[in-house]
Amino acid sequence: MNAIAPSFPAHVQTGALSIRNLSKTYPLKGRPVPVLQGIDLDIRPGEFVSILGASGCGKSTLLRLIVGLDPDYQGQILLDGQPLNGPGLERGIVFQDHRLFPWMTLQQNIALALKNHDLGTAQKQRLVDEHIALVGLRGYEQAYPHQLSGGMAQRGAIARALVNKPKVLLLDEPFGALDALTRVRLQQELQRIWVQERCTVIMVTHDIEEALYLGDRVIVMEANPGRIGEQVQLELAHPRQRDTALLFQHKQRLLAQLVGH
Amino acid sequence: MKLRNLRGLLLPLLLIGAWELASRQDAAGAYAFVPLATIGDALVELLGNGELLVNLLASLARTSAGLALGIVGGVALGALMALSPLANRLVAPLFHALRQVPMLGWIPLIALWLGNGEASKLLIVSLAALYPMVLNTFEGLRQVDVRHREVGQVLALGRWQQLRLVLLPAALPSIATGVLQALAFAWVTAVGSELFLASGAGLGNLMMNAEAGARMEIIVICVLCIGLCGYLMTWLSTLLARRLLRWRPTR
Repeated sequence: MNAIAPSFPAHVQTGALSIRNLSKTYPLKGRPVPVLQGIDLDIRPGEFVSILGASGCGKSTLLRLIVGLDPDYQGQILLDGQPLNGPGLERGIVFQDHRLFPWMTLQQNIALALKNHDLGTAQKQRLVDEHIALVGLRGYEQAYPHQLSGGMAQRGAIARALVNKPKVLLLDEPFGALDALTRVRLQQELQRIWVQERCTVIMVTHDIEEALYLGDRVIVMEANPGRIGEQVQLELAHPRQRDTALLFQHKQRLLAQLVGH
Repeated sequence: MKLRNLRGLLLPLLLIGAWELASRQDAAGAYAFVPLATIGDALVELLGNGELLVNLLASLARTSAGLALGIVGGVALGALMALSPLANRLVAPLFHALRQVPMLGWIPLIALWLGNGEASKLLIVSLAALYPMVLNTFEGLRQVDVRHREVGQVLALGRWQQLRLVLLPAALPSIATGVLQALAFAWVTAVGSELFLASGAGLGNLMMNAEAGARMEIIVICVLCIGLCGYLMTWLSTLLARRLLRWRPTR
């Protein structure tokens, strides 16, 4: 089970993300404060990258730049060699809060992501149904977000991000607001879904265990200004077991490094 | 359960009792507080010759038309002001100055421009409905959660899609509040304009004619009719708003 094998399959061709010398400053009382500095990162197609860091290290900002919500930065972000320009459907994002629209049913929320796709109504409907089933929400199609639990709403958000078949899926502390049991369950679900879909994933988290359990690679981000620190390559095939010795060793080491000096 | 629902009727019934008591004191009392029997006779008369229905329908039609114009115009203007800083800077000072003028204060001017016919009344009612619609649409759109706007961006919605699918639904609770206010204003100003602009049919005209003929009982019927219709309309639009906003968690 724990045989060393490339944990990303060769058939995934697109979804390579290159970040070149990325920097970002925020103005604070008229003076620019660096949030991200000199980020260089190459992510292979179909790779699952966990970005681990304390709050305030700029890891969420990095995702906002990649998804195209903030055009104000220096450096380059390339998707399959092409510079990014604003948001696009080839990138999906799941935020910490589910951000489903309260005035739409689950089904409508997910279908909205397909709004600007050149597909027939029947095909869109099929995709929506498939993805509702994929995240295990069949039977809740007509429910409004306030009728769903936090974990269910977050599953809905994952379905909405995936229904476009994005090349890159960005996860911004996706389970950070959930209770511990739901979090563990959804981590397993995410792993199952990712094994099935195999898109490139960048997940930002402050949960060491989560980062190690899911990532092909764990990148530690350091704060003030946000920059890339240590990188841990995890040669461990998916789906994984939580209690693997290798993960445990890394956890101890990263914990010591991040918390105590 | 049944009895609890009738609690709202207690106060009106007491008032009616006091009214009847006052009317039986002396001749002056009987003039100021017309006996219930007289009111009843007048009601039968007005219903019989269709006068009440004709005038009521005229007032309702005027209110509906003005309300529709005010809602459409108000949402459009409010949205324009909320979405375009330039439009807001251009329009806001004028709008906020004009809305300080009480509706009835416009009547002399509007009557001069448009005469005392239907056009003047419709303009007054529309304006009365317009103000709350603009204010509430503007506020509603301004307060749309930035997190929801971002989802619209991430899903690559166009400007028009963003407005139709994200901004307006998010502002809908506020817009519904605006409609409730607009409805109340429109109804009141419709009857008010009929009191001042004498031509045509309407409950206000019926009241003016009754005053001229010293028919106090008809005035009382009109007042009751105005109150009751306003109450019914508000109740109906509350039901409608509840239906449209069923996606909101019940508190």
